[in-house]
Amino acid sequence: MTFLSVIVGTVAFAILAPVIGCFLAGVDRKVSARMQGRVGPSIMQPYWDVRKLLSKESASVNDVEGVYVTLALVLAVLSGGIFYSGGNLLLCVFVITLSSLFFIVAAYSTRSPYAEVGANRETLQVMAYEPMVLLFAVGIYLALGTFSVSGILDVEVPAICKTFLVFFGLLFILTIKLRKSPFDISMSHHAHQEIVRGMTTEMSGPTLAKVEIMHWCENVLFLGWAGMFFVWSNPLSLILALVVAVAVYFLEIWIDNNFARVKWQAMLRWSWIIALVAGGVNIAALMIL
Amino acid sequence: MLLPGFLIVFPLVVALLLFCIRADKARDVIVIGGAVVTAVASVAMVATNIGVGYTPIQFSSHAIDYLCTAVGVLIAVVVLYFAVRFKNLFAGALAVVQLVLSLVFEMGFAHGLEVSNGLYYDSLTILMVFIIGVIGSGICVYALGYMKDFQHHQPKGEKDRRPFFFGLMFLFLSAMYVIVFSNNMIWLFTGWEITTVCSFLLIGYTRTEEALNNAFRQIIMNIAGGIGFVVALFASAIQMNTLDLNVFLTQGAAHPEIAVLAVTALAFAVLTKAAQMPFHTWLLGAMVAPTPTSALLHSSTMVKAGVFLLVKLAPVLAVCAVPKAMVVLIGGLTFLLCSCLAISQSNAKRVLAYSTIANLGLITACAGVGTAEAVWAAAFLILFHAIAKSLLFLCVGTAEHHIGSRNIEDMDLLFERMPRLARFMMIGIMCMFIAPFGMLLAKWATLVSFVDGGHIVMILLLAFGSAATFMFWTKWMGKLSGIAAKPQNVEVTVHKSEWAAIVTMVFLVFVGCLFLPLISNALVEPYLLGVFGTDLQTLSDDNLWISSFLSAIMIFVLLVGLERKSKSRKVNVYLSGITVDTDTRAFTNSLSGSTEATARNWYMEDYFGEGKLTKPAHIGTATIIIAAFVVAIAMILL
Repeated sequence: MTFLSVIVGTVAFAILAPVIGCFLAGVDRKVSARMQGRVGPSIMQPYWDVRKLLSKESASVNDVEGVYVTLALVLAVLSGGIFYSGGNLLLCVFVITLSSLFFIVAAYSTRSPYAEVGANRETLQVMAYEPMVLLFAVGIYLALGTFSVSGILDVEVPAICKTFLVFFGLLFILTIKLRKSPFDISMSHHAHQEIVRGMTTEMSGPTLAKVEIMHWCENVLFLGWAGMFFVWSNPLSLILALVVAVAVYFLEIWIDNNFARVKWQAMLRWSWIIALVAGGVNIAALMIL
Repeated sequence: MLLPGFLIVFPLVVALLLFCIRADKARDVIVIGGAVVTAVASVAMVATNIGVGYTPIQFSSHAIDYLCTAVGVLIAVVVLYFAVRFKNLFAGALAVVQLVLSLVFEMGFAHGLEVSNGLYYDSLTILMVFIIGVIGSGICVYALGYMKDFQHHQPKGEKDRRPFFFGLMFLFLSAMYVIVFSNNMIWLFTGWEITTVCSFLLIGYTRTEEALNNAFRQIIMNIAGGIGFVVALFASAIQMNTLDLNVFLTQGAAHPEIAVLAVTALAFAVLTKAAQMPFHTWLLGAMVAPTPTSALLHSSTMVKAGVFLLVKLAPVLAVCAVPKAMVVLIGGLTFLLCSCLAISQSNAKRVLAYSTIANLGLITACAGVGTAEAVWAAAFLILFHAIAKSLLFLCVGTAEHHIGSRNIEDMDLLFERMPRLARFMMIGIMCMFIAPFGMLLAKWATLVSFVDGGHIVMILLLAFGSAATFMFWTKWMGKLSGIAAKPQNVEVTVHKSEWAAIVTMVFLVFVGCLFLPLISNALVEPYLLGVFGTDLQTLSDDNLWISSFLSAIMIFVLLVGLERKSKSRKVNVYLSGITVDTDTRAFTNSLSGSTEATARNWYMEDYFGEGKLTKPAHIGTATIIIAAFVVAIAMILL
């Protein structure tokens, strides 16, 4: 029964994803620091940061911002639960989009000039990556014959053999989804290229902690998307998928540290061109052959 | 027989009454009574026919045949009168051409072809009956309050044409029932033409120059479509020897080679009526009319008549390559281009119009694909689009009368200036474009049917179009959601009739999203079973129930969760530490004066502006239609 497994998966994801995501964030900061010739903070630093945020006084510009952010977090966790319980990939994609919508509305609701700029840019980011995300789901469907994520365990050859162009396209837009430079235009963790703090300008304390945890959960989910290309009926392939996920994360950190933020025009143009070419060609080939 | 007949005749009687009555009080009573009776009868029709298959009604009458001819002449006279009075000879000439063609047809060709089952209904009809009866009547009730304000805002000495307005609204409903119940294609055509001329008169209601120009644009395009319909009648009578819609559909599906011209011509008529590119400009122009007119045209009548006929044609389109290619391509292109064009618009009604055209494009494309999955998607797109779009139009109309603008930029802070209305508007917007609400589930099914059918171009058009859809709805929602300290609440003066209609629509969104799987079982799958012999479901019940569960939570949060007062300390918005006034977002500028921070939405004119996209869209889609007709005619001659 899908309904039950989604609930179990969501609960499991709610417990595990923040832990894994927190660890990944710590690794990110360490690796980034090394790339920049610094020692970097301890691996536990993101955890201490969020714990401190949670202990701070709750202060906000209005009553609804926190509700929207909580909703966005819950939906992100649900989306992860749907994915890792082997549920429907499209449903997972749609729920994570809904989560993005509420996060954007949270930023708009503050009416801070900086947050509004961030929210506008985030809307544009979603528009930039959404076509490729849908084409990714279609590509996986054509490779597996089903939208159920659990279908990857039944196939004889991993999806990557049929959909490497889609995989490439997904990697490209994952840079946007993981909020990495050059496409971190709505909110950046690189202070030198940010106008104030973009979307999260007015979020503080526990609300900001929720945003961080949501980001961790999303990272775990998106790396799962990248890893699923490499899984087939052989259980050992799960290890390969894990290795690929780690490699993808390292690649994204490397990109993050080596490219300066681009203008939105370039981001939109390139994401759409890559979705059209990589996604379109790959899917056309799968349909015709 | 009893209920279908009642549903056609009753709104007609109400319409005739309303044409004659000038007193406000009496009109209120008649409109509310008429709307309630129509809605109740429609719901009764739905309730007593759950899961019904194709049910012909044996009914033919020469009196009605003659009446149809008389109505055809009357329509031509009305159009000619306006064409002469306002000097638009082209419209008049087209009306004459159509009249001559249809008279030649009815006198010369139709006589030998008796249709014994004049009326019919099936589950798709039942779905349409619900949409027309409940949503259409709801809009009529809304119009009562709205038109009072509207008349109030009119310049002094302007004639009060409200009897005419309300009469037309009910006439429209009656004509819609004629369209969904008629099995006799001539009767169907008559209903079709009445809706055309009703919307012509409603668009030109204010008689300003702009209104008249747009009304004439509408009538020219739709009479061109009407001529297409007559051509289809000729082709059907000559090549297939029938004017019985059901026979036409079964024969067409069995022998697509003889039906090709008839179906292409009918599809052309649909493209004009459903405002597909290159004919979309008439629906944009229709925005000059009072808002209830727009709500009616966009949600439950007019454009839905077009796509209803196309969905009926789906099994034929599935096997008939030429019209199929035309319909699928035009629908897909319209979806992508109009979604992109909507980004560049700041006028709320224009955004809604582009979104309507885009969604009709998607329905058109689904009908063109013509598989059971695609028709499932089309049926739900029709239903949820009708509900959500009427809700949005009613909200925008009410907002316009209370904030004095229909520009989205002026809806800043609406969340507090009109708290209830803004929340309802947000529900309407979310229902239009995002999971887990109805429209997105239908789009999901659309995507699956495109993938299963191997329509790669359509998948791409859908993927990019959906992304554009996200952009224009989200930035609108963002505008609504802003909160500042205590602006004045201006919604206390909204008419009760307006609230009644708006709350009905919100209720329908809620019920529709929550019980989507049941609606699928009760109304849509029986139709698929009857037409395609399968009741398959694209989306599994589990996923549907997860979505309906989520929708319920979303609506609860929007209506209840956002009311909660949080305990957090309230702080001012960050303005780099140089705040002058936090409510207006004023800060100290470089000359030590004060400047207000203002932000506009993004419209990206350089990428998605009308100047950029409209011309290539016109040329491309017109080429597709011409090519389809050339091939269809060539196939007949060769």
